[in-house]
Amino acid sequence: MDVVIVGSGPSAAAVCLAFKDRRDVTLTVLDLGAELESERVASRATLASQEPGSFDAAALAHLSTPPRPETPGALPRKQIYGSNFPFDDLGQLRGVRANNDANDLVVSGAYGGFSNTWGAQVMPYSTGTFRTWPLTRDDLEPHYRAILAHIPYSGESDDLEETFPLLGTPDHLPKVSERTQRVLDRYTAHRIDVRRHGVVAGHARLALRGSKCRLCGLCMTGCPYELIYSASQTFDELRREGRITYHAGVRVHRVENTGGGTRVLATSVNGGGTQEFKADKVFLCAGAIGTTRIVAGSLGLHDTTITLEESAQFVMPFVSLRPVKHLTQDGEFTLNQFNLFVSFDDDGKDASLVHCYPYNNIMKESLPSIAAHRALAPFTERGLRHLTVGLGYLPSWASPKPEIRLGGVPRDGELPDITVSTRENPRTAQMLSLVTQRLRRAGRALDLFPIPTQTTLSGAAKSYHFGGSFPHAADSPTERSSDLLGRVDGLPNVHLVDASVFPTVPATTFTLTIMANAHRIATRVADGVGL
Amino acid sequence: MTRSVVAVTGATGYLGSLFMSAFVDADYDVVALTRREPSATPHVSWRAYELGATPPRDTFEGVDVLVHAAWDLGNSDAQESWARNVGGSRRLLDAAREAGVARVVFVSSMSAYFGTRQTYGISKLAVERTVLDGHGVVVRPGLVYGDNAGGMAGTLTKIASLPVWPKFGRSALFLAHSDDVATGMVSLVENYDDFAGRVVGFAHAERVDLTTILASFAPHGKRHPTVPVPASLVMSALRLVEATGASLPFRSDSLLGLVRATDVLPGQDLLANANIRFRPLAP
Repeated sequence: MDVVIVGSGPSAAAVCLAFKDRRDVTLTVLDLGAELESERVASRATLASQEPGSFDAAALAHLSTPPRPETPGALPRKQIYGSNFPFDDLGQLRGVRANNDANDLVVSGAYGGFSNTWGAQVMPYSTGTFRTWPLTRDDLEPHYRAILAHIPYSGESDDLEETFPLLGTPDHLPKVSERTQRVLDRYTAHRIDVRRHGVVAGHARLALRGSKCRLCGLCMTGCPYELIYSASQTFDELRREGRITYHAGVRVHRVENTGGGTRVLATSVNGGGTQEFKADKVFLCAGAIGTTRIVAGSLGLHDTTITLEESAQFVMPFVSLRPVKHLTQDGEFTLNQFNLFVSFDDDGKDASLVHCYPYNNIMKESLPSIAAHRALAPFTERGLRHLTVGLGYLPSWASPKPEIRLGGVPRDGELPDITVSTRENPRTAQMLSLVTQRLRRAGRALDLFPIPTQTTLSGAAKSYHFGGSFPHAADSPTERSSDLLGRVDGLPNVHLVDASVFPTVPATTFTLTIMANAHRIATRVADGVGL
Repeated sequence: MTRSVVAVTGATGYLGSLFMSAFVDADYDVVALTRREPSATPHVSWRAYELGATPPRDTFEGVDVLVHAAWDLGNSDAQESWARNVGGSRRLLDAAREAGVARVVFVSSMSAYFGTRQTYGISKLAVERTVLDGHGVVVRPGLVYGDNAGGMAGTLTKIASLPVWPKFGRSALFLAHSDDVATGMVSLVENYDDFAGRVVGFAHAERVDLTTILASFAPHGKRHPTVPVPASLVMSALRLVEATGASLPFRSDSLLGLVRATDVLPGQDLLANANIRFRPLAP
């Protein structure tokens, strides 16, 4: 069987893993393939050969300059190794517009996709999430396990396991910060008081090689030792093994049914005409909006609106009465360290998850410049010693709905134009208020209080936790839904395997389920089940 | 015919011993998983097990069904109690799953409902999720009464003999006769597939107010005068005494269960289909 995979993000990696040992299957990956600039690769290699205390200063500065926010106090766009390459436009963003504060950088052209710059959170979805899916967590469990066995995985056994089982044997997390340890210790001591408010606290679960961590504090700007998982690592491995044929610089714009198989039409990002690839099966892994554009163009959908599901993101700063002793990222790991799970039911469907980050230099850089003034700096530093930043998520049913307005019929070789906007959801403010209220009530026990009026909701599609344009449905697929193998009506050999097929997007961590579901679909295709 | 083997934790406790007898009567072999060996009984064997500890390797050898009824209420240290009861239950359930025990029933509590404020209920609820995700069954018995009733029913029987009864607002409870709970458990195990992954309330469907319960438990069924008692005041007094480390026959957490009892009885359709019934409280 000849298989073409479009994209190189986490869902594409999962598809390749599912086929890896099927020697009767050829795997061709078509990718835009933007990579970290070579001089930054060199600087990274320099740091990787050194210990944190003796990093080369120039290489360090080259890679770890914190990103600046567009406005003071806002969340800056995350860079990686000082580069914006995951957001570079290789033609995939041409024709993408955004209204108001919606995000227009919605499709990555990077080798590894947005997993180059993600938060590395990996937890399965709760069983409750699947109440509105035509799948159950049992259907995904073997695939969660397969993915977690392949990627680096660190976490701890704690109360979050009740809703989010470990599904494997994780490596331990690196030593957590003083603030994290205090919050988790206080949770253990006052567990019942905290849980009375529907709040459960626990360690982060990360796609990270925890035991190899050197605590250099550079997680948020790019681990020089490459200990944080990116899908590119899986592709590096598969390419080294000669298991895949990888084409970079290719932008797919259309898939066509040819009766027995599928034709994939693409253009070279460096110019040139249309390229054509033939396959028995095609897996679209271009990210929810990238895949949506390819499918819409292929099905001839235009001048219409597709509503997505997004788990809206909010930034929630917390203050603690007791300050931490030292304000530094040196000697720490700076990814998310602990989670606050706020639930409104007993099976984890109606819930919010807040990822809490210890101090890192980006926090200081995000403050108004006056805060860094010599006269105010001591007060700023004192204030920061009380601060924890939470990055929270609401479930899609309580979030604003991103909408994609498709333009007219695209020109040959182009993807359909789209405009991203958002539709308000009256439940958003209500749920955010309830989440804040519960966390405030649990605050005394944890010594972690949400700062009043400082919680801000991010714009449409800025969480990067969006999907649902062609949701899985139990009955026959239509032009606006997919079957359980990710196929829409009219494209019988094309499988959508990224979040475009998610019926909902809960507030809990996103990427692992994308990978597990992609792995499930690919495994079933490989086994010839349900075709 | 080979007899099925059911392992019962807490088999020497009030509910556990009821289950043990009911399973023996229904032609099961019972393995009592307890700290101390129970008195010799035909078709009952013993394997040492202590809630909180990792179960010995052979705990589930030959076992078809696990009924997990053990719970330690004697530990006043919240952290230790959680580790022993919740952590211990999770280890037990993991061991059962790894050993291939296909049917697992967890004896939870009516206090374990979402939004409960009871320590006992919150702890039981934490175990329930693990059981349900593993396709086990959660049984939430109501207030179990009958001969030699223990727990809350035992306490209420003592209160019923007082000349004046306390009245805590409109508190009302679901009740279940001990014989019905025991036979209901056997029926549930025998119809396990219909219940897998579900929560069922083992009680008669009608809630009964406290005064009616006390009248039923009173020596001659006679109602005594009642005195309205502010629950919050009693709760505070009990908590004060508990803070000194004193052990009380009736804890503040139990009072909370009495005054803030659930009004939801889950899984009644499943019980009706399996013909599992609970008698109403006799006047």
